[in-house]
Amino acid sequence: MLIAIAFYLFAAITIAAAVMVVASRNPVHSVLFLILAFFSAAGLFMLAGAEFLALILIVVYVGAVAVLFLFVVMMLDIDIAELRQGVLDYVPLGALIGIIMLIEISMALGVWAFAPEAGGAVASPWPDAVSKITNTEAIGHVLYSQFIYVFQASGLVLLVAMIGAIVLTLRDRPGVRRQSVAAQVGRRREDGVELKDVKPGQGL
Amino acid sequence: MDTLHADLLLTAPELLMAVGGMVVLMFGVFAAQKRPGIVNALAIVLFAATAFLIWRQPAGVLATAFAEAFVVNDFTRFAKLLVLLGAALSILISTRFFEREKIARFEFAPLMIFATLGMLMMISAGGLISLYVGLELQSLALYVLAAFNRDSVKATEAGLKYFVLGALSSCLLLYGSSLIYGFAGTVQFDGIQVVVDGGRNLGVLIGIVFILAGLAFKVSAVPFHMWTPDVYEGAPTPVTAFFAGAPKVAAIALLLRVLFDALPHAAADWRQIVTFISIASMALGAFAAIGQTNIKRLMAYSSIGNIGYALVGVAAGTEQGISSVLIFMAIYVVMTAGVFVCILAMRRVDGPTEKIEDLSGLMGSRPLLALCWIILLFSYVGLPPLPGFFGKYYVFGAAVEQGMWPLAVIGILTSVVAAYYYVRIVMLIINGAPPEKPFEPTMGGELRVVLGGTMLFSAAMIIVPGILVGWAGIAAAALIK
Amino acid sequence: MLSAIVFLPLLGALVAGFFGRLIGARMAEIVTTSLLGVAAVLSWMAFIRIGLNGGEPETIQVATWISSGLFEAGWTLRIDTLTVVMLVVVNTVSSLVHLYSIGYMAEDPHRPRFFAYLSLFTFAMLMLVTSDNFLQLFFGWEGVGLASYLLIGFWYQKPSANAAAIKAFVVNRVGDFGFALGIVGIFAVYGTISFDEVFAATPAMVGRTFEFAGTQFDVVTTLTFLLFIGAMGKSAQFGLHTWLPDAMEGPTPVSALIHAATMVTAGVFLVCRCSPMFEYAPDTLAFVTIIGAITAFFAATVGMFQNDIKRVIAYSTCSQLGYMFFAAGVSAYQAAMFHLFTHAFFKALLFLGAGSVIHAMHHEQDMRKMGGLYKLIPFTYAMMTIGTIALIGFGIPEIGGFAGFYSKDAILETAYAAGGVGSFGFVAGIVAALMTSFYSWRLAFMTFHGAPKWKHDAAHAHDDHAHVDAAHDEHHHHELHPHESPLTMTIPLAILALGAVAAGFVFYPYFIGDGNLETFWRGSIFVLHGEHVLHARHEVPEWVIWAPLTVTVLGFLIAAYYFLWYPKKAAALAAREGLLYNFLKNKWYIDELYNLIFVRPALWIGRKLWKLGDGWLIDGFGPDGVAARVKDLAGRAGRLQTGFIYHYAFAMLIGVAALLTWLMFGGAPK
Repeated sequence: MLIAIAFYLFAAITIAAAVMVVASRNPVHSVLFLILAFFSAAGLFMLAGAEFLALILIVVYVGAVAVLFLFVVMMLDIDIAELRQGVLDYVPLGALIGIIMLIEISMALGVWAFAPEAGGAVASPWPDAVSKITNTEAIGHVLYSQFIYVFQASGLVLLVAMIGAIVLTLRDRPGVRRQSVAAQVGRRREDGVELKDVKPGQGL
Repeated sequence: MDTLHADLLLTAPELLMAVGGMVVLMFGVFAAQKRPGIVNALAIVLFAATAFLIWRQPAGVLATAFAEAFVVNDFTRFAKLLVLLGAALSILISTRFFEREKIARFEFAPLMIFATLGMLMMISAGGLISLYVGLELQSLALYVLAAFNRDSVKATEAGLKYFVLGALSSCLLLYGSSLIYGFAGTVQFDGIQVVVDGGRNLGVLIGIVFILAGLAFKVSAVPFHMWTPDVYEGAPTPVTAFFAGAPKVAAIALLLRVLFDALPHAAADWRQIVTFISIASMALGAFAAIGQTNIKRLMAYSSIGNIGYALVGVAAGTEQGISSVLIFMAIYVVMTAGVFVCILAMRRVDGPTEKIEDLSGLMGSRPLLALCWIILLFSYVGLPPLPGFFGKYYVFGAAVEQGMWPLAVIGILTSVVAAYYYVRIVMLIINGAPPEKPFEPTMGGELRVVLGGTMLFSAAMIIVPGILVGWAGIAAAALIK
Repeated sequence: MLSAIVFLPLLGALVAGFFGRLIGARMAEIVTTSLLGVAAVLSWMAFIRIGLNGGEPETIQVATWISSGLFEAGWTLRIDTLTVVMLVVVNTVSSLVHLYSIGYMAEDPHRPRFFAYLSLFTFAMLMLVTSDNFLQLFFGWEGVGLASYLLIGFWYQKPSANAAAIKAFVVNRVGDFGFALGIVGIFAVYGTISFDEVFAATPAMVGRTFEFAGTQFDVVTTLTFLLFIGAMGKSAQFGLHTWLPDAMEGPTPVSALIHAATMVTAGVFLVCRCSPMFEYAPDTLAFVTIIGAITAFFAATVGMFQNDIKRVIAYSTCSQLGYMFFAAGVSAYQAAMFHLFTHAFFKALLFLGAGSVIHAMHHEQDMRKMGGLYKLIPFTYAMMTIGTIALIGFGIPEIGGFAGFYSKDAILETAYAAGGVGSFGFVAGIVAALMTSFYSWRLAFMTFHGAPKWKHDAAHAHDDHAHVDAAHDEHHHHELHPHESPLTMTIPLAILALGAVAAGFVFYPYFIGDGNLETFWRGSIFVLHGEHVLHARHEVPEWVIWAPLTVTVLGFLIAAYYFLWYPKKAAALAAREGLLYNFLKNKWYIDELYNLIFVRPALWIGRKLWKLGDGWLIDGFGPDGVAARVKDLAGRAGRLQTGFIYHYAFAMLIGVAALLTWLMFGGAPK
């Protein structure tokens, strides 16, 4: 009962926050609502017993991604009024499409049923009380065995993202002096110091 | 451990590509910062080595690796070789262009490698997750490549548009995947097949629609094509050449894999969707191209139309249909490479040009190049006995075989409309007044090699079309169980 | 060796055609001419071996050409007596014309092209005469047609030459259509197109009929009739003759080779080659006789009042071909072939002689502007006279005469002996012989005798041809000095003159002497009633034998009266422009008639179809209308591309929604 109340609470907050992300007039508010949505989603995960995912969501998405968003939004000085111009023109059509899709997907939900074969096809290990395996451990088991392929591939995706960011933004500015540790360490006294024997009464 | 060993052996080409990509990247960073040409050459060698490994994979068998996340059979081998060919040709024709435009950077080759790797993974995907990861690996690299000329407003706009719309399409795909997972309880293609076999499942069907929408975006089929003209125009020409070739093959191959491996029993449903998309693409590709003045934009609409023709073969839904699509795509890739070489040759002393009217009177100034143009354009029109004719002949034939002759008739009618703008260019080349500023009198050796190869391929298609048809037949048989 | 006869000209054509610029005009001339010379010598050797000495006919398999199901066509050279006769004619005349052209065309800048065409023509003609089946025959048939077209239009800067070339091609199409239909019909009926098999099967076909449009047609009669339509076109028989006079727009050596000695005789050759079929189709033979007789008469009447030297000879050719056909029509194929053989010599001689005159007159062809040339070009005069005597068939029965005498008299006598339609042929032939004598002497007198008429308007003559060949212009603006032709032109004349004198009595015993079918032709010509047909000519009344000589002399006297002794009277008669004179001078108004019946209605229909049918109906509602709609659509499709990212995204979402709706409610199959 309590769990049910908590579920509906979190679910309601998630949806409301998601709506506000779109509806909010101020982009900073939008990001903040996004963080709220993340939090409530983490709560949902927690209720489902996926504590590892819940915490990862908070650490990664709230701690890193959302904060990054916030930085970007604050730095970009977006003129929200200009962005919103003309949006109203599309509201009727957008609403129509949204409603149509909603109805159609609800119809699908109406026939929701696990196919009898589907039960058997679900092959992921699930931690149970007997084996005392934690969520984290279980994820680790499949992540590095069954899903090693997609895991490594995801790593490649991130690598490409990194290369992309560098390609698109890194510029060599001429005339910028950089620290070269090797040059500093390798520098000798003779390179920098020259002794001149200056005779009295004479200039250089 | 034995399984892992076998798995690694089966994925050897992709592993080589991944490791090779990183090696090339490191080589670029530490040894060839200022010499991107060497990195490009390395990438081509890597492509060749990968192609060799794929070539040597056992023929005629179906093998899976990593808990069926990765599938190898004759179909994937054919498609992968085609993708590697397209990608290698694009790198080959890019080096000089980037150097002359002063935007050459060594990161180009690693990005191409990872994009191609993503395509190989797409083609071999055994489930929705590996499909998605492969697709994202490819797409992310393509977004960056589109904006590679980062100082050009057009290129960055192209990259941004591609990125945002690509993200939207990824959302659609993911949403569809989650629906299918929700209703079928599995993400593996064969598992989905079992579920669909059990009866028409509305939830799965909706998922299919979303997945098809996501894939249709990748092949730039109507109505998910809107990014294509802008991106083709904005991206650097060799990158456009790449976009027009390899990713299309990969996405079409993936589409075929999804439809025939996961959903063979929902054929009646997806056939309608594919037919609709196909007709829309053929029509838009034919009509919208007419008013274009930029050759790259024109090629964008041309590729939309061509994908429409390929989808005719997909809609047929038979083994013959699959082989016809493969034949069509193989011819399309080679012809497109040839056309883009010709576009790259549109360069005056003061820089490249992309206006169609600059081709005016090419016959007088560069007869050989003009002849290549004419052959390629007529091949696009589908004039016998040029290769393009065979491509269209087989896809329309496959459709007619299935009694879908209205689709074939529409295809032929749109071909006639499309012929209008191709032939208009031919007329311009032959009859137009010579331009005030002619093109540079020569083109690079690698362009000549690629163009010569294209012409050789055309001749081979006329003389011994049986080779390609035979291979495509074997590949298609592997997909029908 | 026999293959060499056929392929040496092809080699020459290829060398001159493709490497003409590389090796130069002189080299191209030497190569083609010497190759043709070798081929001619080899032909004579083959003629002596197979024709005169009774060697075995040979067939040489070159290649399998087409093999498709039942249909098989080999590429085989068939060398029998009929073929070697043609080989000799073709290669002799062709090699002499090659040699002659070196002199005649000396000032032309496109000589390699000319010689390549000449050799190509020769090759095609040889393919025609050596063919072993109808398809190969058709190949050669069309090949000579093509070469003829190219050569008539050789001076392509000249509009009249182009028009003539097109006319020759189109008129020949009419005949070729019949010919092709005949071949198709032969394959349909016999299931083969090989000569041997078709001829062997013909006797069994007699009386068989097929139904077409509700009427029964006799098979053999129909097929031979269709083949003869082809022969009529190629050999310029009455009705399809209009192209031949116009073909004189080509260079004169071409006229000599193609439009006198060889190509135009292909029709006669066809009829003789197919004698095993024609013999079983008496109706067709009667038709052949009538057409031949009409042509002989008609062309002779027209030839009497032409003023262009080449046109006179062209009509004469037409008339002589008529003789050959009505000979074949009364089953005297041997006589037809003999006349073909002798005619080749003296007609080529006359054309080349005329060419020599034209050369001397700097491309003046109007006889009214010549006269008195015999003193200036005596050798040409002598040669032309020999040719003329041979053409009119002068000779005294029982004693001997020139070449034409033997062949023409044999034809006339056989025609009389045959009776029936043959009598019609005889009458027409005798009248035509009178006119032949008249126009031949008229030509000789107008050209070589009388007062020179060329001095005062020489400059004018040049202007007419100024555009033909710029090279000629240079010495044309000055006073005209007729001069004898160079050696390369006179040697061929001499050789041909020898043939014109001697070909008759030397080869008479072989071609039409007693026992010719067994000893000479040996199966290459088939006559149902055997030697009897030809032999019957010995039993005709005495007056028939003397009639040709009588009319010939009469013709000479009339011509001499008007053109040698009282030229003023002829001019006065011409100036009166009588009804008959105009009728004949305008070639019976046949060109005008065709113009009225065929050309103008065809143009009218064509224009209507073009303006109304194509322009208004099809273009208006078809391509143009559709094109306009396409452009509208294109504009709209282009405007879809706004460039705004949220439009694009919206389009995608609408697309998904539409697809989803379509799938769920669009009548998806259960």
